[in-house]
Amino acid sequence: MVRRYLRRGYSSFAAHVFDIPPRFMVFLFLIVLLLLPMVGLAPYYLSIIIQANVLAIFAVSWDLLVGRTGQISLGHAIFFGIGSYSTALLFKYYGLPVWITIPIALLTGSVAAFLLGFPGLRVKGPYLALVTMAFPLIIGTLLKWSPLIPIFGGEFGIRGLPAFFSFLPDPTPQVNYQRIAEYYLTLFLLFVSSVIIYKIANSKTGIVLVSILDDELASKACGINVTKYKLMAFMISGLFGTLAGCVQTHLLHVANPPMFGLTLSFAPVIITFLGGIGTIYGPIVGSFIYLILDKYLLTDLLPKLCEYFNVTLPDEFVYAKLLIFTLIVIILVIKWPRGVARFATDKLEDLEEARDLDERGPRIWKRYKRKEKN
Amino acid sequence: MLIEQIIVFGAISSGVYALLALGFTLIYGVSRVTNLAHGSFYMLGAYMFFVFSSFFDDLFGSGMVSTSILALILAVIFVGIVGILTYRIAIHPIVGDQVAVMVVTVCLALVFQQLILLIFGPTFPPVRWPAGSFLVISTLILGVTVQYSRILAFVVSLGLFSSLFVFITKARIGKAMRAVSQDREVAMLMGINTERLSMLTMALSAMLAALASILITTSTSMSAGAWMWLHPLALSFSIVILGGLGSIKGSLIGGFIVGYAEQTVAIVVPEGGAIVGVVPLAVMVIVLLLRPRGLFGKRVELEE
Repeated sequence: MVRRYLRRGYSSFAAHVFDIPPRFMVFLFLIVLLLLPMVGLAPYYLSIIIQANVLAIFAVSWDLLVGRTGQISLGHAIFFGIGSYSTALLFKYYGLPVWITIPIALLTGSVAAFLLGFPGLRVKGPYLALVTMAFPLIIGTLLKWSPLIPIFGGEFGIRGLPAFFSFLPDPTPQVNYQRIAEYYLTLFLLFVSSVIIYKIANSKTGIVLVSILDDELASKACGINVTKYKLMAFMISGLFGTLAGCVQTHLLHVANPPMFGLTLSFAPVIITFLGGIGTIYGPIVGSFIYLILDKYLLTDLLPKLCEYFNVTLPDEFVYAKLLIFTLIVIILVIKWPRGVARFATDKLEDLEEARDLDERGPRIWKRYKRKEKN
Repeated sequence: MLIEQIIVFGAISSGVYALLALGFTLIYGVSRVTNLAHGSFYMLGAYMFFVFSSFFDDLFGSGMVSTSILALILAVIFVGIVGILTYRIAIHPIVGDQVAVMVVTVCLALVFQQLILLIFGPTFPPVRWPAGSFLVISTLILGVTVQYSRILAFVVSLGLFSSLFVFITKARIGKAMRAVSQDREVAMLMGINTERLSMLTMALSAMLAALASILITTSTSMSAGAWMWLHPLALSFSIVILGGLGSIKGSLIGGFIVGYAEQTVAIVVPEGGAIVGVVPLAVMVIVLLLRPRGLFGKRVELEE
């Protein structure tokens, strides 16, 4: 009895929520994100969202390469690292401002993607995955090699990079204008790059890329220059991956070997799997889930709750945090292999079908829909 | 002197590396699982050897080779069971989706790392043969001082590799493994229980990783660490790709190539010890540029 009411309540709620057209949902999401700094969010939470934005750019670029083109890359950190190190080196040796170094770094990143694309074109499937995984490991180790330390700074990397908005007033306890400006910058970059990638993925080129994912031989037989399109996917993906690296390095003011690390190689993979692979919008959702899970729930909320309930966390909790996080990721991947965003869209499509069958849904958006049908 | 050093140490590490890579290639061949948690089984092997040997030391008094070997066997069996459980719980539901398998296995590697950190803390427990036993005494081969433990590692790994080769080519289960790797569905139709076979292969692969770990660690670094899984993982996948995924002969030859390349760099290049980890990866990339399917991986199946 109660369950039936609950279910009815849920379905009417779901029908109301899912009935909102996706474009409006995106708009709403954007408005919420735009207004977030206005509500006086603490700088720590703001920095979590900044990180989420940067990682979202990174994961979206990965999704274009893997989810749409099917070229499994487990070493996307190579682009991230190239971006961060080339901006850092340009600043260190030539003292160039940010607005010049980032375009040069983007160029470097796409040239590097072009060069790495060659082995990528020759090998397939798991071979490609493992080879791409090797690239950042090689460079990350070479950076720590003692003959190269004078150039790349070794373990500590290149420090003291300027912030994006150093001309703004210094942070005060009440308000941190620099952080807010950085937030809007990353949000803008995320918006622009995801729109560009979404447009590419849904253009004619994008259809060709999906055809390579589905059947490379068949698309070759249709007269598609598979090599060209694969290289193109590599380069576009590398370009945006590099952008994420450039932004991150100026946010953290440092470029160091972990930028080539395994964690960063797998962050976009995990994020995309959480959000939904091959959807382009999925990674954006996924990166927010990832960082909220990692940086908010486990780092911030759980200790506070424990403090509230007078439970002292043991010192080993530092290790348990990553353990819990990876366990959650494993469970999510096994439970929803198509991602959380995909799960939601599947639900949405199901509901739409159900509503077409019997007109029980609410009528708020009916006019909109009728317009679309005509 | 240098050349002799390279020859002797290269041969010793190559044999163990081949054993390590064999596990990786077997599980890929049988169930198409790119097991990025292979390094974790390596790490677990070293830790379990430490646990069991210190347990036996408390029980029977230290300094006995026999208890150490018992500890080795128990550790290897334990890691095999962990491998079966891992396959059953985490990998089995998503077998067939290449990327998902890689995500889950790399997460499993992190899970094992954090579990080890939780249980043992960031310490480096000793993994060594009992002091005073004949295994820690050195001898001269080609004018190079070599410990008996290294010779033991070489002999054990080559002996095990050849017996496994015979097992896979001749024995009933080995034939089933090859059949599954050639065509899973037809093998099922012929009445092979592919699920059980996959679990068995996973256990074998984990056990090989654990054994290789104990053999390598007792003769080189002598201590375990929670972060020691990345290097063997890079090593095993580069060896396997060098020889061709799923090729058993390839993993032996790849192991020798990588082992010798590593020793050469470590001995010849200045400050080479720091970049030894790069060598297998670099060799792999160079070989793949020349031969995209690896040296022996013409077909993606378990070859003889």
